[in-house]
Amino acid sequence: MSPSIQPRLTQVFRFVRHSYADGVAELVYAFDQGEELVERIHFPQAPALPPARAEAFAQALRLLHLIAGVSYYKAGVPPRIELQDGPLDDATADLLDALYLHGLAEFAYRNGLDLRGRIAFPRGGARGPAAPALGLPKRTLVPIGGGKDSLVAVEALKQAGASATAVWVGRSDLIAACAARTGLPTLNLQRELAPGLFELNRLGAWNGHIPVTAVNSAILAVAALLYGFDSIAFANERSASAATLEYDGQQINHQWSKGLTFESLLQDWLHSHVASDLDYCSLLRPYAELAITRAFARLTPYFEVFSSCNRNFKLLGPRPADRWCGECPKCHFVFLALAPFLPKPRLLTIFGRNLLDDEAQTAGFDALLEYRDHKPFECVGEGAEARAAMYALSQRPEWQEDALVARFRNEILPQLDAAQLALEPWLQADGEHRVPARLLSALQALG
Amino acid sequence: MKFGGTSVATLPRWQNILELTASRRAEGARVLVVVSALSGITDALKQLCAQGDQGKRIEAARAIAQRHDDLLEHMQLTVPETLAARLADLARLAEEGPAGLGELAWQAQVQAHGELMSSALGAAFLSHSGLPTQWLDARACLAAVALPNQNERTRLLSAMVDAQPDPALSARLAAQGEVFITQGFIARESEGRTVLLGRGGSDTSASYFGALLKALRVEIWTDVAGMFTANPRQVPGARLLQRLDYEEAQEIASTGAKVLHPRCLSPLRLPRVPLLIKDTNRPELSGTRIGPELREEAPSVKAISTRKGITLVSMESVGMWQQVGFLADVFDQFKRHGLSVDLIGSAETNVTVSLDPTENLLDSDVLAALATDLAKVCRVKVIAPCAAVTMVGRGMRSMLHRLHTVMAEFGQHRVHLISQSSNNLNLTFVVDESVVDGLLPQLHEQLVRAGAMRTDDATLFGPTWERLYGSAGGGHEPAWWVDARARLLQLAQERSPRYVYHLDTVRERARALKAKLPVDRLLYAIKANPHPAILRALAAEGLGLECVSPGELARVAETVPAGVPRLFTPNFAPREDYRGALEAGVLVTLDALHPLEHWVETFDGRDISLRVDLGRGLGHHDKVRTGGSTSKFGLPLEQLEAFLHLASARHARVIGLHAHLGSGVLDPGHWAEVYGQLASLAERIPTVEFLNIGGGLGVPSHPGEQPLDLDAVGAALVEAKRLYPRYQLWMEPGRYLVAEAGVLLAKATQLKGKGSWRYLGVDAGMHNLIRPALYDAWHEIVNLSRLDEPASAMYQVVGPICESGDVLGNDRRLPESHEGDVILLATAGAYGQAMSSPYNLRGPAEEIVLD
Repeated sequence: MSPSIQPRLTQVFRFVRHSYADGVAELVYAFDQGEELVERIHFPQAPALPPARAEAFAQALRLLHLIAGVSYYKAGVPPRIELQDGPLDDATADLLDALYLHGLAEFAYRNGLDLRGRIAFPRGGARGPAAPALGLPKRTLVPIGGGKDSLVAVEALKQAGASATAVWVGRSDLIAACAARTGLPTLNLQRELAPGLFELNRLGAWNGHIPVTAVNSAILAVAALLYGFDSIAFANERSASAATLEYDGQQINHQWSKGLTFESLLQDWLHSHVASDLDYCSLLRPYAELAITRAFARLTPYFEVFSSCNRNFKLLGPRPADRWCGECPKCHFVFLALAPFLPKPRLLTIFGRNLLDDEAQTAGFDALLEYRDHKPFECVGEGAEARAAMYALSQRPEWQEDALVARFRNEILPQLDAAQLALEPWLQADGEHRVPARLLSALQALG
Repeated sequence: MKFGGTSVATLPRWQNILELTASRRAEGARVLVVVSALSGITDALKQLCAQGDQGKRIEAARAIAQRHDDLLEHMQLTVPETLAARLADLARLAEEGPAGLGELAWQAQVQAHGELMSSALGAAFLSHSGLPTQWLDARACLAAVALPNQNERTRLLSAMVDAQPDPALSARLAAQGEVFITQGFIARESEGRTVLLGRGGSDTSASYFGALLKALRVEIWTDVAGMFTANPRQVPGARLLQRLDYEEAQEIASTGAKVLHPRCLSPLRLPRVPLLIKDTNRPELSGTRIGPELREEAPSVKAISTRKGITLVSMESVGMWQQVGFLADVFDQFKRHGLSVDLIGSAETNVTVSLDPTENLLDSDVLAALATDLAKVCRVKVIAPCAAVTMVGRGMRSMLHRLHTVMAEFGQHRVHLISQSSNNLNLTFVVDESVVDGLLPQLHEQLVRAGAMRTDDATLFGPTWERLYGSAGGGHEPAWWVDARARLLQLAQERSPRYVYHLDTVRERARALKAKLPVDRLLYAIKANPHPAILRALAAEGLGLECVSPGELARVAETVPAGVPRLFTPNFAPREDYRGALEAGVLVTLDALHPLEHWVETFDGRDISLRVDLGRGLGHHDKVRTGGSTSKFGLPLEQLEAFLHLASARHARVIGLHAHLGSGVLDPGHWAEVYGQLASLAERIPTVEFLNIGGGLGVPSHPGEQPLDLDAVGAALVEAKRLYPRYQLWMEPGRYLVAEAGVLLAKATQLKGKGSWRYLGVDAGMHNLIRPALYDAWHEIVNLSRLDEPASAMYQVVGPICESGDVLGNDRRLPESHEGDVILLATAGAYGQAMSSPYNLRGPAEEIVLD
């Protein structure tokens, strides 16, 4: 990177090349005529790729190159995107245009940018022949993140007798501890960002949230072909599809790449471009957060290892406070959503403290309840779910004197329609899902 | 003498038992050895009991027999007849299953075989080794009593024995021999069936025998030297308790210590048989002696313990408590729901009780059901998770006045309940569980410092756990001033008071930090001691210098070469200070929004560092804590977004994040934790290049206190850096580098007696060294002129300043001292001269550098 480059003034973002050898994928990008940005993805103990999967692998690797570019593109958000190996077919261009526009919507909102009309992947390339079935081994990659959702998915797969491997990207002792507890075989992939990106940051690059689930999904598609899996089963739930807020006519969803739209786009694309028998889905799609926390409340062995908190995430200690900061929206939501389904003393041993009896958390819980505030930009359930959980607690003697529950009863509840606050509707499966036939029994195991 | 499972599992351990038993025999005592089953055997027998399949039971019995055969083979003994009979019994029980005897009686019979076999094996080994030993069936001696609240299960599997001195039994045994071996854990009930004594059963057996035989003493041989003043895992500086009375020991055992089951003390109380806890591997250690005698001694807190996972139920009701039967009704609800109440606190309109963390409480809806029932008669609040912190010591109420710093410590947290019972043995505070891990070591230290735990009494308090078992071991190197005594005496004779600094010690500390910590930049916080020779020595070691004022910056500029890295981290300083530093090309640290908001252009386009407040403070005294809302330092985290916004608007780049939580921190994991917290913040700030985790590395001041384990600090930081490799790690130690390198030399001026108090006046005072007055800091004080004489006097060491707070040390044991003696105050190299004042116009102490 030449020292004079000004990331925010760049004109072109270039997808330079990509390659794979000996368990390492190399993805190369550049801004204008600047130095190459080289990202490496490490696939440990990668077996030799069977020749029959070579074409599919090439397609998946190309998609990974295109999707992972979002981490770099956002540094400058230049007006033009260039592809070294020619234009995309329309379906691929549609997928990427949508991903970059919606996946970066929160980033754009926070930085005061409008990306509409700015993102256009070169299109018009020829569409290849429809992808064949590859006879991939009937086993499932299940990505885990250390939080409750993926663990619920793991247990559903185990209950359905599916053969599965717990997979995660990046170093994390927390995830490693959860993975070990699942008893499944594990696979830990590494993503090594281009060092040049940090240099760009120092030079004043744009920064913010990127659709990381999309990047991980593309990495797993490559991994599925390499190691031999016929399915990738995420644990994204129903509310992930809901917009976080609307701004200037645009829906902004913090977790767009966890939503059903992206799931459908990617699943269709993999079927048509990679292998008709490679499935990509979310097992928890028809379920609301509360249905998932209810399922998780039965999984006692994970209580002392899991965490959904996104602070203190990497350094693990033995105390609950080393896994749960107690102050972020994730901590607030998971606490509240588990509370109706666990004995109170048990819940409190998980968190090490009672967040609902801590007045310092008032604003945080108000935001969850969408009381005087919009929904925070976090992967949390819908406000109505939070209100239903809080209402349930407010009816229980062992909770109702706690500071924030009492406040809810006295101040917020009188403004709400109690008929809208029932817990039960949230516990039912509802809505569209893309779970393939082979894994339907796991979906049902959750019910 | 009682030996546990691991003590009887191998040949070397049996040789140990042989030696110990023979040594007691040699003292002229008759010995009864009580043994547990070989380690793992009781569990194996329980599994056998749970096995429905006859074939598998027989197989399990065979495996158990094999364990004993293997041990006998090591002992080069053939299977003795007594053991062969037991093995045959066990095989028969395994084959028959529970049908004949009934499930519970069969289980008791099966499980009893662990001890029956180990004792038979032991009798053979001891006798064969030249110590004739009689095998005694415990069931012939210990008769279980049926209690009204027992059911069939508790009668058979956790039985009680009413052990009264039985002279007939003593006489019978005396006629049979000198050495006996018998079984722990088992007894016989009135119908002649074998019963078990339940948890802590073997220790309890030993106590029962001690009472029956009115023994000289009961010795519990285990893997630790006794009871400690706190859980050594939480407080490595916990001291061995060498003497306790029954009640104190029982209280300590019930509130935390695991070494002894509380139930094994009560049988000994009436016959006044003492109990001794000893470490099998370290028989030379004195252990803990628990007995009836109340020696003449100053009241002292003996131990502090914590129990976690406590749930409080607070019941509030106006004016109802005086109604007859109301409390009875309330407590009846707890009984109905099977919940056992532990602590109770009450007021006119409120009763709060505590519940221990049982499985029932954690995994069933019992609490919800209880709350629902209680809510019908009062307002219920469930407060959890809590922890009970209990201080134990006879005469607790007479020590309350010494506990003010301890109370102040509790005052910083939510205390939900305080309980003290009329036996005056304990004082319990119930607080939020989340604070208790950090609290315990501090409270332990406060108790020592406040003189509430009289660790200076060597008859009561033994060595620290760390010294007995810790990795640090080895003890301390002697301080440099012991070797330099002659030179120091000469210096003090020339003139006093004088500060003396030993530069090699400064360099040694700097090199140790560089070698052991994965730091990218070390900056010496020069406020600790800005003496030019020290600045030059540390700059020569490659350290940068951290300043907090224009004066310090000027000192640095005139002392060290311009290339030495500098950092300016003032607090509430005027804007000129920042401008001056920036103009001199020094990186500045901000810790408020104000400068960016109001001082237009000052920081435009600059690289800056930001000090954040991670929301909590640490340290040995309130006034050295620099984190938390009550501290004036650092930007609160909720203002971070606003700060970044302002910085971005001014094109100022935040290249470093800094936090410093306080001084005197001895927890080796602390700095890695700060690094991790800063890193998780930095991940949202792409311009950050370094994380400055401050200093606060603790320096031991009391004799026997363990130094900070730098290797452990380094290991934790290496791990933290592995997880967040992107950032440079900066640290800014101050006191750690210079404290031990400096001493303050003074001469004795006058002596005075006042009642029982003896004052030793010296010519140095709070104008030279204000730390004792300001922070209650403890500086070791020695009479350098009489270093070799016995410390037979106890002095209040005071200075010449007209201020009642001019006390350098309370209750110090020193040799009888005389006018003109040279008195040395140790660890005075940091914040000594630097914080001195002209008060009383006595002039400053001179500073001498030894290089």
